[in-house]
Formats: sequence, C-alpha cells, structure tokens
Amino acid sequence: MPIPRSRDVPRLRDDDDGRVDELVLLVALAVLAFSVPVWLAVSLAIVVGRLRYERSRRRSSSSTLGEREATRLVRRAAGRPRTEWGRWRRVTALQRLEQAHHPAVPRLVRRVLDDRDPKIAAAAIRTLGDVGDDWAIELLIDALRRGHGQHSRVASELERLAPAPGVKLLALLRDWNPTVRFWGATLLRPYPDLGEATLIDLTWDTDANVRAAAVETLGTRSGPAVGAALLARLDDSEWFVRVHAARAAGHVLGADAAPTITRHLAEERWWVRTAAKDALRGMGAEAVPSLLSVLAHEDPFARNGAAEVLQDIGFVDFLALDNPRSPLLQRIYDAGGERFREAAEARIERIPDEDMQAA
Amino acid sequence: MTTWLEIAVLLCLGYLLLTNLTYVALVVIAFVENGVRRHEHASQDFDLLGESRFTIPVSVIVAAYDEETAIISTVESLLGLEYPEFEVIAVNDGSGDGTLERLVEAFGLEPYHVFVRHVFPTEVVRAIYRSATYPNLVVVDKENGGKSDALNAGLNVARYRYVCGVDADTVFDREALLVGMRRVVEDPARIVGVTSHLTIAEDPARAMAAPEGRRPIDRRPFMAYQHLDYLRAFFNNRLAWSRLGFMLCAVGAFQIWRRDVLEEVGGYSRRFTCEDIELTFRVHEKFLRERREYEIHCLPDNVGTTEGPDTVRKLVSQRERWQRVINETVWHYRNMWFRRRYGSVGLLGTPFYLLTEVLAPVFEALGIVTFAFAVALGLFDVSVFVLMLCAIAFLNAALTSCAIFLDDMQSRTYRLRDLVRMLALAPLDLVLYRPVIVWARLKGTWRFLRGDKAWHKFERNVRTA
Repeated sequence: MPIPRSRDVPRLRDDDDGRVDELVLLVALAVLAFSVPVWLAVSLAIVVGRLRYERSRRRSSSSTLGEREATRLVRRAAGRPRTEWGRWRRVTALQRLEQAHHPAVPRLVRRVLDDRDPKIAAAAIRTLGDVGDDWAIELLIDALRRGHGQHSRVASELERLAPAPGVKLLALLRDWNPTVRFWGATLLRPYPDLGEATLIDLTWDTDANVRAAAVETLGTRSGPAVGAALLARLDDSEWFVRVHAARAAGHVLGADAAPTITRHLAEERWWVRTAAKDALRGMGAEAVPSLLSVLAHEDPFARNGAAEVLQDIGFVDFLALDNPRSPLLQRIYDAGGERFREAAEARIERIPDEDMQAA
Repeated sequence: MTTWLEIAVLLCLGYLLLTNLTYVALVVIAFVENGVRRHEHASQDFDLLGESRFTIPVSVIVAAYDEETAIISTVESLLGLEYPEFEVIAVNDGSGDGTLERLVEAFGLEPYHVFVRHVFPTEVVRAIYRSATYPNLVVVDKENGGKSDALNAGLNVARYRYVCGVDADTVFDREALLVGMRRVVEDPARIVGVTSHLTIAEDPARAMAAPEGRRPIDRRPFMAYQHLDYLRAFFNNRLAWSRLGFMLCAVGAFQIWRRDVLEEVGGYSRRFTCEDIELTFRVHEKFLRERREYEIHCLPDNVGTTEGPDTVRKLVSQRERWQRVINETVWHYRNMWFRRRYGSVGLLGTPFYLLTEVLAPVFEALGIVTFAFAVALGLFDVSVFVLMLCAIAFLNAALTSCAIFLDDMQSRTYRLRDLVRMLALAPLDLVLYRPVIVWARLKGTWRFLRGDKAWHKFERNVRTA
C-alpha cells in the first residue's frame, strides 16, 4: 500500500514542496530497514541460544575428547593469537584439554605462561593449580621467580596444592629479588617447622616488605628467639612493619609483650595504634595491668586506646556492675570521655535485672 | 513559521541520528568487552578467591535514611557475602523511622565507644554499635547529613584498604564482592574503582531468593521496563565506556574504591544532589590532570537487585533527581569538555553525556512539539509521523534486545518465557515507558536550572513478609 504523502493534503506553503517530509520518510524507512531485522535477528539468537544452552546443560558433561577435537584444541592452545578475543579462546582450549588430562598440557601450559598479557598468564596459573602435580609446583614456583602472572594468584594456587610445596619454598628465601623473598616468607606460614632461622634473619632484610612478611609468618610460631625478633621489629622505621610486629608479638608472647605493645597506643600512625589495640584485645584480661598504666598518659591516643580496649574486653562493664562508684572505673571514664561513659551506661541499662543479679 | 518548523524537524532528526549512531557504536564495543569479561569470568576460580588469604579485605559501607522496611534484608545479604575478610558498616543517617531500632533488634547490637579517625568531616556521630553475634558488623548512628555525609562517616570507621559503598535498598548476591574484587586483585596499583551490573525488582529480597537460572522479571510491564532500562544502561553503555576508558558513573548501589584515592579526592561531596557520578568524575579529573595511570571498570556480572519505584510518581521523583545530578556534575566539570588533556573522558565521555543526557530532554520535548505541529500544519502527513514513531520504537527495541542478549550470554539468569516477554515488550517502550522518563528528565532539568539540590526521597515499596 502506498504511503500517503503530505503533498496530498492542504499545505501552508507551496515552495520547497515535500523536501522535509521526504527526508523524514527516507530516514524513517532507513531506520526501520535496519532496526526491525536487527531486533528480529537478535531476538531469535537469544531464544535459540538459550534453547541450545539448556540442551547442553541437560547432556551429561563428559571430560573425554574426540581425536579431532583434541587436535583442534591443541592447535588453538599452541597458537599465538594477536587479538584479546583469540587469546581467551586459547585459554579456554587449554582448560578443556586439562579437564581431559591430555598429555600435551604440560608443554602447552609453559607456553601460555609466557604470554605477555598477565590475565592470560593468570588463567594458565589456574590450570596449574588444577593439575597439582610436582611439575606444576615447579612451574608455579618458577612463575613466582620470573614474575609471570600475578604473584598473589600464584601464591593462592601454591597454598591449595596437594602435595604441599613446603621444602621447595625455602630456596625463595635466599633469592636476590626482594619480591621473591617476600613471597617465600609469606608462603612459609602453613609450615611451622620450616625455615625459622632464615625467617628471623629476614626480619633484618633491607627491604621493608620482606621484613613485614617475615614478621607476619613468625607470628604463627613460638619460642624465645622468635619473640625477641618480633619485639625488635616493633621499633622498625616502616609503619607497616610495626603493624605486623604488634599483632605478631601479641600472638607469640602474650602478656609478656603487653607493656611494649601498650606503648604503641601512642603511635602517630592510626594503623599501628589499631594493630596494638587488636593485639591487646587478643590478650584479654592479661593486658589489663598494662592498659591501666596508661590511663593517665599525656597522649590522648594512648588514653583513649587503653579505655577502648578495656571496654572491648569487658573490663568496664565488669567494674560498672561490680562497683559503679569504683575510682578505677572513674579513671577509665575520664580517659575515655563523656561519650565513652554514656555508651557504657547504655550497655549496663540493657542488661536484664535477673542477669544483673546473677552477675 | 513553516521554515522554523522545518529547521526544528531537521534539528531533531539530526539529533536522533547522531545519538542512535553513537548507541549502535557503543553496542558493538560492548559486545567485545562482554565477550572478554565472560571468558575472564569462566577462567576464574571463585572458590579459591573466596578462601585465599591473599584476597584483599574490604569495608562495605551502607548508608541508610528511613530504610526500616529494607535495611534488614540488605544487611543480612551483606553479612552473607562469600569473602575471606570484610566488615559491614551500616550508617544510620539520622533516620526518623525505626531503622536503628530494627537494626539493634535484629542483630543484637550494643553501644560501644570507638575512637575513629576523622579524616572526613561529618555531622556528629551519636553512637557506634557492635554485635556479639556478627563481629564484622558495625552500626554508626549519626545526625542527618545526607548520603554523602553518611558514607564519609562510614569511611572514618572503615578498617580496610578498599571500601565498597552500597545502597540500603539493595540485596546482594553472595559472590558480589568476589566478583568486584577479582578485577581489583589483577592490578591493585592501577584499578582504583569498580562497579558492576545490578538488576531491579519491586521486592529485591524475593527476586534474589529465586534459584539460579529462574530469576523472574516482575509481571507488571512498568517494572519490566525499568529492568530493561537498567540493562541498556549497564550492558550497552557502561561496558563500552569501560572498554574505552571513560567509565563515568560507578553506581551508588555498588561501588568499590581504593580508600587512599577517596582520601586524596576528599571523600564523597555534599555539594551535589547524589554522590556516585560526581565522585567518579572527580577521580577521573584528578588522575587525568595529574597524568597518573589508573582504571575504573564496570563489570557485566549481576551483583545484586535493587528496589525499583513501583509507581509513576516515585519513578518520576527518582529519575528527575538523576537528571539533576547529571546536569550538576557535567556542568561542574565543564573544564573537561572536549579537552585532549582529559583523554577519552574529555573527548568522548563528557560529550556523550552532554549529547545523550543533558541535551536529551530538550531535544525530546522539542521533537514531540515540532512533530505534532508539523502534522497539524500539514508539513507532513500523519502516516509519515506514525512511520517515524515506529522507526524510533524499533530502533529502541533493537538496542534493548542487544542488551538482553549481552545479559543472557553473561548470566543465563532468566527463564525463557521472561526473555521472550522482555523482547516483546521492547518495541512498546516508546509509548508505554519513555514518556514518563521524558517528563522526569524535563522536571529534573527545570529543577537543576532553579538550583534545587534536595533528595526528594520516595517512599519504599510495600514488601511481602
């Protein structure tokens, strides 16, 4: 049916007859000619795609590969595609081959690890984690040394591996590269019997990150040598080493470290103060004598921090219930301030009468 | 008069073609980005990420003002996140309803005094609550100061290097943080901000409770259109912006930021109606001005469902606010427009916003008026007018179907019948939904010109128990 044109109806003006409406008509037809097929085609693709997806999901997933498919996947995984899209297809092929335990996987994964795109290398690292054999451990440690892929990703894979890499990590502690030493020290945490002397040496490393990693790992161990090394790091020149040292010393030495850690409540760095508070909180009632000693400290951070830890370990509530007029409680309230007192009183008010009597 | 009318028609036609060509180009780029992200997602081991001690800890901050109906399900969903180390900081921004009481009751909160840093100035914090049952939950009760102020109060309390600002009316997927942070851990030095795709529902908790692959779309077309609108915004636009390096809006409902970056730029600003888009512009502006390397990304993964307005009045209220803040932000950062110094943000991002957001209500209104006059005065026939409407409707439908396609390839989350329903609804968007949005945008533009910066919060939907 012909589309009626504006020239068939009365017009205000007769010059330039129909130029605009012809243009509008032309644009409308062009847009329709483009958009309707696109809408229909995409809609069809969505429905068909979904039906195919449902069907493939219902089929049992098989890990075996046909010979032709395996050859195709090996070729794809061995290729060097230039596009990002192609590189991802390469990774997918590698993962499919790994699921099918194809013998070419060790050779192929080495090549994918060398990809200059760190995301692609990360996918190869995941494949290595899934493989979990001795050769995969060697490759992962090598990737850590050579900086292939993200270090944290390699480390995560190494930590979940069985057999555990344990002894193989010790060599990393003596690497020339501080990043490798850092990861070596970090990864030794689940192995309490390995490398203690070297880790203590590393608490004096020239690189602050290495010192922090060594301190953190030593925090899961015990013994006087470890304790002494951690206390020494509480005065490190880098604040983040002091953060780790405060937490680690609290864990290893317990109440013995409380007086030293309490000093750090007056630190200029918020992170160190927070770590000191965490460590003291972890000691519970054993930290109380040290905390009480700084209630009148000249530094407000120290006073506030001590009051806060006493509140968090329940000492304030205990005193408020036991003897609300206690001068000690008053000293803590003075250190904490008016809002501190209000919060404590509000907590006490919420305790039901029967619980109060029992207390 | 006819000459003027002809000029107006030509202007509208030119605008229509230019914007839609831009949209089509963005869709093509979005397909590439979606494909890459999909492969990347498939190659990730989320179980490992969720257990690894090397995954970076995050402070999740939720600002709540008069959210008594939604806050519990939001905080519960946040506490249920699968992530090795995180804390949830809920900030009650001086609510006049029972938001705080509901939180205290539901999570067994007790008041504690915590000495926090005052990096960002905020209204007075009245009390801080902790829960014995949920050690990673902190509730901050403060005087009302607006959403930005509440988020800044949360930042002062936050313990971790990364913060994730979320909305109080959103229910999150258990893997939301893993999905967002997986991008960050790839390159923490460069990636300073991440946002991700959210869906919309009348009752988010109920929508999220549906099993994977069977998530329903609200039956009411009004809600379904909002859902389609979100799909287009996230898949067709933000994915492409992300690819092109000008992700200009990390949405308020889910925005991960590196904390030191927020400290550098001064935190969330109270000078704007909403905080999210302005903060994203500010980060871009600072990093580009200082010629520093950085990236802000939008991911295609669905991280949660947010509550959509269930009446026209509420929708208009929400969208006029969005329009206002876009105008405020684009105008405020006008020094970036068309400037080479600001790279793709200055040469593509801000012009795109100007064209498709700031000028859109003007051209949309002009289009309606001129075409109506043109038909009335006989400049062209009604049938040409109808044909043009059909063309615009199907162009919209084509773009919407691309967004549905991208989402379905990524998530396979909808039932087949819902997919078909969305595809069928798409061409009618122009008649059933777009007029409301045009009206809201005009209203927002008018209020922007008047300098209105109020939030105009709409009532929350009634939720089933």
